[in-house]
Amino acid sequence: MWCLDHAWQEEGLLATTWRAAAPFPHLVFDNFVAADQLDALMAALDEEHIARYEGDLFAFEASAPEPASTELAELRAEFARVLAPPLSRITGKPVTRVDMRAYAYRPGHYLLPHSDHQDGLARVLAYAYYLPSPDPPRGGELELYRVELANDEATVTETARLIEARSNRLVVFDVSTISLHQVREVLGGLRISLAGWFYA
Amino acid sequence: MVLRVSLEERLATRSAVTVPSNIPSSVLAAARAPFRYHRYALVDRGAYEYDDAPHAPELVAAITARIAEVAGERRAFISARAIRLGPGDYLLARHDRIHETRVLECVLDLSPAPIAHAEVHYRQHGQVFFRVPCDPGSVAMVPRGPTVSCNFTYVSKLHTGAEVVRWIALFG
Repeated sequence: MWCLDHAWQEEGLLATTWRAAAPFPHLVFDNFVAADQLDALMAALDEEHIARYEGDLFAFEASAPEPASTELAELRAEFARVLAPPLSRITGKPVTRVDMRAYAYRPGHYLLPHSDHQDGLARVLAYAYYLPSPDPPRGGELELYRVELANDEATVTETARLIEARSNRLVVFDVSTISLHQVREVLGGLRISLAGWFYA
Repeated sequence: MVLRVSLEERLATRSAVTVPSNIPSSVLAAARAPFRYHRYALVDRGAYEYDDAPHAPELVAAITARIAEVAGERRAFISARAIRLGPGDYLLARHDRIHETRVLECVLDLSPAPIAHAEVHYRQHGQVFFRVPCDPGSVAMVPRGPTVSCNFTYVSKLHTGAEVVRWIALFG
């Protein structure tokens, strides 16, 4: 399912791109899954139950933190097996395991600015893979912020990059105290994705 | 001792209410007009407009009287601020001010019109125990202490032109 194309052979170039990316290290891969594999990928999610989650920071629908189906569990295991080694080399951050949840953002759903960084959780890299949607979303972009810190508190937060939630696109980004990002509110359509973190 | 304090806090939070302010809408609109807002935009905490010293003696008098009617006791006014939110705005719980002493927080809704899902959520130990909807002319009275925090929920951009205005006052 997760087959790395020729772009992944240029690890030196990817490492340079990773380090140079602003406002913090990230990579974007389009056409990540081969077109003839997409139906099988979507079918693997058929048995996964989705529930609504809401807090002061977010409103969306998602699968449980642990996959309910063996299909999603296998998809997650293969994702880690295929991606952890090259991402470790490209980012210079050794990662091993990964978690994975399926997300559905409908109109009015959002994930407000946050960094993903939490002491003790060992999240090293974050990722989002945008699945083909029967009704492509309006809004729902991944927004990256430039942050200035003083005594571990943000003193400046400015929009620096918008990444469209385009079908079959994988985004990987660094997790740190300055990796401030949000999912902009979905204004129409359906934004579906697989997302989670790589851990040390 | 810990159990007793916990029980007291729990009982206090159960006394939170939302009632009509009984302030005429013309007075509410007039009170809203002179507020001078500043933009807050450290987006990891909130995106909203605020006036930290809104001059509104008529609101202080009216809400002081309303507290006496509802709670049967006279409370002393401490301070107030006005918060205005438009589409895309919010105020997260981590940005809320914690009150080390017991106070009564009153949220008077000065919004021109109701906005669905634009609420204030009061939390104790992280769990929402009281929701204040956007209901113009209403006033929520919420006992606060060190374990209570609040957040202003995200105002959807689907509500084009939405304006949520709240006058938040503390009483001792």
